[in-house]
Formats: sequence, C-alpha cells, structure tokens
Amino acid sequence: MQTGCDQAVCGIIGTTTEARFVVGWGKLETMSTYMREHFETLLAALVVFVFGLAGFAAHAAEGTASKADQQCLVCHSNKGLEKKLPNGETLSLHIDEPAFARSAHNVLGCSVCHGDVTLENHPPLKKQIKSVRDNSLAMAAVCRNCHANVFERYEAGMHAALLRAGNPAAPFCTDCHNPHAAVAKAAFDLASGAPCSNCHSSIFTAYSDSVHGRARGKGRIEAPVCSTCHGAHDVTAASGGDHLKNACFGCHAGALSAHQKWLPNAQRHLDTISCAACHTPGAKRKVDLRLYDTAAQKGLTEKQGVPQFDLKARAVDTEDKGLSSGELQRLLQEFNHGGNDGKTILRGRLEVDGAVEIHQLADKSRAAGQCESCHRAGSAPFQRVTISIADQSGRRIRYDAHQEVLTSAISVDSIRGFYVIGGTRIELLDVLVLLALMAGIGGPIAHLTLSWWFRRNAKRIGGRDDS
Amino acid sequence: MARVYVHPLPVRIWHWTNAFGFVIMILTGFQIRYVGLIELMPFRTAVLLHNWIGFVLIGNFFIWLLFYLFSDKIKVYHPDLSPTRHFLASIRQMRFYGYGIFKGEPNPHHISAYKKFNAMQSMAYQVMMLLLVPLQFYTGLLLWDVEHFSGMIDALGGVRVVDTAHVLIFIFFVGFIFIHPYLASLGHTRTAHFKAMITGYEDVEEKHENG
Repeated sequence: MQTGCDQAVCGIIGTTTEARFVVGWGKLETMSTYMREHFETLLAALVVFVFGLAGFAAHAAEGTASKADQQCLVCHSNKGLEKKLPNGETLSLHIDEPAFARSAHNVLGCSVCHGDVTLENHPPLKKQIKSVRDNSLAMAAVCRNCHANVFERYEAGMHAALLRAGNPAAPFCTDCHNPHAAVAKAAFDLASGAPCSNCHSSIFTAYSDSVHGRARGKGRIEAPVCSTCHGAHDVTAASGGDHLKNACFGCHAGALSAHQKWLPNAQRHLDTISCAACHTPGAKRKVDLRLYDTAAQKGLTEKQGVPQFDLKARAVDTEDKGLSSGELQRLLQEFNHGGNDGKTILRGRLEVDGAVEIHQLADKSRAAGQCESCHRAGSAPFQRVTISIADQSGRRIRYDAHQEVLTSAISVDSIRGFYVIGGTRIELLDVLVLLALMAGIGGPIAHLTLSWWFRRNAKRIGGRDDS
Repeated sequence: MARVYVHPLPVRIWHWTNAFGFVIMILTGFQIRYVGLIELMPFRTAVLLHNWIGFVLIGNFFIWLLFYLFSDKIKVYHPDLSPTRHFLASIRQMRFYGYGIFKGEPNPHHISAYKKFNAMQSMAYQVMMLLLVPLQFYTGLLLWDVEHFSGMIDALGGVRVVDTAHVLIFIFFVGFIFIHPYLASLGHTRTAHFKAMITGYEDVEEKHENG
C-alpha cells in the first residue's frame, strides 16, 4: 500500500524526463537509424549533463535538492511513507531530505536512478516487488550504470561470490551504501565500523580493542580499517593467498629486517606463519595444510559447480572423524590422478583459529617471541590440523585432520613442505634415536662386561687372564 | 715398543676440532629436537650454536680433505687395493673385537705409518668422511637457510624429507660418538690411542726377526 503521494506532483518526474529527451529530435529525422540511436544516447547523456550538472550542481553546492527533486520530496520526505510488500515486509519510501541534499547523488537528481517512474505508473507503483532485497537487487543494475568499475571489483570479491551462490545474507550495493545519503569515501564514519560492522559486529568489536583499532580511535588515520586488509568492494578473505601479508607489509615495511635481527630463518617464518598467529596473544592457533599446485605455482582452487574437495575428503574419511595420515595420503593421491602425478602437494601454514581472534592484534611487545612455544613437541598450535582449498572467492574450505598427521612417518611425503623442528618431529625417528643411544651406551657396557666375564673365567675357557 | 709417527699435526688438529665440534653438534641437536625433555640451553641459543659450529666443521672438513689429497698419507685409507683381502681383513677385525679380544688373542692389525687403520676402520671412515659427513653438512646447510635453498629443498622432496635425512645421519653419529672412544680405548692400554692422537706417535710392538 502506498500512501500520501499526489499524482500530479509525482508525475512531473516522468514528464520532465520525457521533455528533456525530445529536445532537437526533429533536426535528426533525416539521419540514419543507426546514427539516431547513438545520438539518442548522446543526447540523453548531454541532457543529464547540462540540466543535471549545470542545473542541479548549484543546488548541490548549496546543500539543497533541486526544484524537480523537491517536487518528489513533497511526498517522499514524509517519514511514514512506506509500502507493504506481499511477503509482509515494509519497503520504506521515505527520503531524508537534508541527507539527500548533502549526498553525492544530489547532483544527479531523482530521475537519473528512477527513470522508470512515469506519470502513468506512479503512483500507485504498478511494478511487482517481491521483497525489499529483491527491489534492492533490481536497483543495483542502476548503480552499475555509473559505477561499472566498482562493480567489476565487487564481482571479483567474496561478497559477490556469496551472492552468486545464493546466500540470502550476501551484501550488495544498498547493504553498505544508502543511495539517498551517499557520501564520499572520506566521509565514512569509520569509528562505528559501518557498514562492515552491520554484519561483522563481533569482529569489529575485537578490532576496536586491537592495537590498530585503538590507534584509529586516537585519531591515527594511518591505522588500518576493515578495507585496508579486506578491500572495500573486491572484498577478499584475508586468510587466502598473500593478500593479508601484503597488507601488513604495506605499513610495516621493516618487519622482515626487524625479525631477521633475532629470528633464524626469518623469511621462512614469515612465509609460513600468519602475522596474527604471533601477534594475537592468547589466541588459539592451528595448522592449515593447503592444497598447492606446484605446476601452476599457486594454491589449488575449488572447481566451480560440484565441490570436489569436500566430496573427496569425505570419501577417504572412512570413520568420519577427520583424516588420519593414511587417509590424508589417499586424499592427496585423489588430487594427483590423471596426469597430475605429484603436482598437488600440501603446504602448511600456522594461523589463528577463529575469525574474531585474528582481529585482536596486540602491540609487538606482547607478541609471541619464545621459540619454545612452537618448537616443543605437542605445542598448542599443533593440536588442531585442517586441510583446505580455496573457493572461487578465495575463502578457505576446510576439512579436519588428526593431529598425528604432523608427526607420522607416513606424512614425510604427503606434508613434505611443512615441518617445525622439534614441534612436529616424526615419532618413528625418536625410536631410532633411542635405539642409537642404547646401542652407543649399551654396546660398550656389554663389551666391557664380556671382557670382565672372560677374564674371570679365563682359565676355565682357555683364554689369557691379561686379555 | 717402538714409536711410529702416524698422526701428522693437520690430522690431529682436524680430529680434535671435529671431535669437540661433533659433541657440541650432538648436544645442541638433542636440545633443538627435544625442547621440553632437555633443558641444556634455550632453543635459540642451541640453534645459533648448532649453525656456527656447523660452519666451523665444514671448514675443518677441508683441512682433512686437502691434507689427504695433497699428501701421500692418503694411502692410509686404502693400503690394500684388493677388495677381497680388504673384506676378509674386516671380518678378521670384527671377529677380534667380538671374540678374540676376550681370549687375549693378538690384534690382527699391526699399525705402521701408512697402515694406521685396520680394515674395519678404513672402510667405516671412508663411508663417513666421503658420504655421511658431507651429506650431513649439505642437509644442515639447506636447513640453515630454508628460504634461500628452497629450490634445492623442493627438488629433494621438501623440508620434511631433508630434515629426516639430517636426523637419520644424526642418529648414526649419536651411536658413533659412544662407540668410537670405546674402540679407541682398546689399544695395548686404555689410553694408548688417545695419547697417540695428541702426540702423533703410536706405540707399536717391535717385530722380532726370530719371532
């Protein structure tokens, strides 16, 4: 149900737009159809530019809506203006006039985005709207007209991947941006974490209490916000690839040399361990063994369509209790079938176990600097092991494995690329060390004992007592 | 008893440097591998010491190699070029240590300037010095800078494979570090061979023409 709108006033949107589009039409009648089509587009753009920019820019500069828009706002500035949808939802039709007047979209005016609204169809709006989300999705096509490059980035990100996968919570344009109060990037209220915190509130709370969040709170604008690590439109999971590491090094350029001063094999440590694994005190950590394509020199990505990884992992996990070292080897063989022999390997990575904890980064004085915290057998980080592959958006799809895969002799081949001296030592070798010690110490003792026995019994067995 | 000069100065320098170096390498190796079980020193100190001593031993290895390559003493490793005789002499030597020595039988090997090793020693030391020690240095070097040598490590099958090879050779030396001094104590006196490795001179029984 639509309420409170005067048809005569709202219809002006349509007539005004139509009037703009027919300017000079007669002069073009003699031109070819092809050229006319192009000139139509050109003219439309020109009209928007001339009337839009020249006409409305003055209003935008003054922070007021144009006269044409004010005609729409006669109705749409009413706070109670809304429409009940068939699914029971309420679609708000209210526009906050001062916010719109200040917004970046004020310069365009109502008609640029709502060109489909004409005197004939408004009101009541004849188009069927299934849901608020459905309406927003349909309007996203309008955003694309001007923000094509942003759309391109969005579609490469994980939010778009979730949307394509049919996730009903996957965000798109209007979930983060209010088109009627669109503000420039610099004017975003970062202190509230909006819009990210709308969905990721627990993560934002953790971030707010982190060294980065606190620095930002103190006005240090160089401190990272959500988009610094995850991107704004091409949103990616920071755990995928080198994205996060590059984000860290983007500000902490001296991190490698600082680590090299005290940490042997510093580069390898930084490659294998996520920054957060050491810089989030108290966070639970785990080993993620990632499928890696040695031929393509990059992490393996799940095929689009039927998810292969999960199916294969479940197929080899006979007891459904996570993968044992033997099962892990079989899984790897599955990925190395059909001319792929040996190309797929597992690369280990030590990381924080939990999306919230990973954002609790602390000052470096509280970072883990004790080698023993990882190089001791059975250390906390090796209590949980996952096998993973990246999905199309870069998010990790994980499957649990037994902790013993890290210390089993069978794993020498399957997880050849991950080894923490002492921490994930192979237990079979410990047995051999013990045998060597027993032979090294026991051999001479046995030999001495025999010598002593022979000397005592020399006369009886026919030997020399000075032997 | 006659005195025979069997251990030239470069060999003695190499030997004792190697001996103390290997003891430190084994101790730090244990500390690195068994944090928590052994608390001789902090892990990081053990790693740094292991690395530095490792390089000292690599340099020391070349003292041994160059000395034997550029002197006629290389004959001590192969005094008998017949594999059959060498093999049979090894068996005789093993029988002596395993049985004859208890009955007071004479050592079948007689030391001289160019025959300072018995057949068993000669064979074992060649395997060690030409295969195990270089392999241990090589795998140790790869593990010292995993990132720099990542190409070679990947070609060998990954860091886990390289480390396993390093630990297997370590296990051999763990046994050797006990057995070697014990066997060295089986001279005509318990300390005879130790003294010889300090002075360079071995006491050998003089041959009597009339037996």
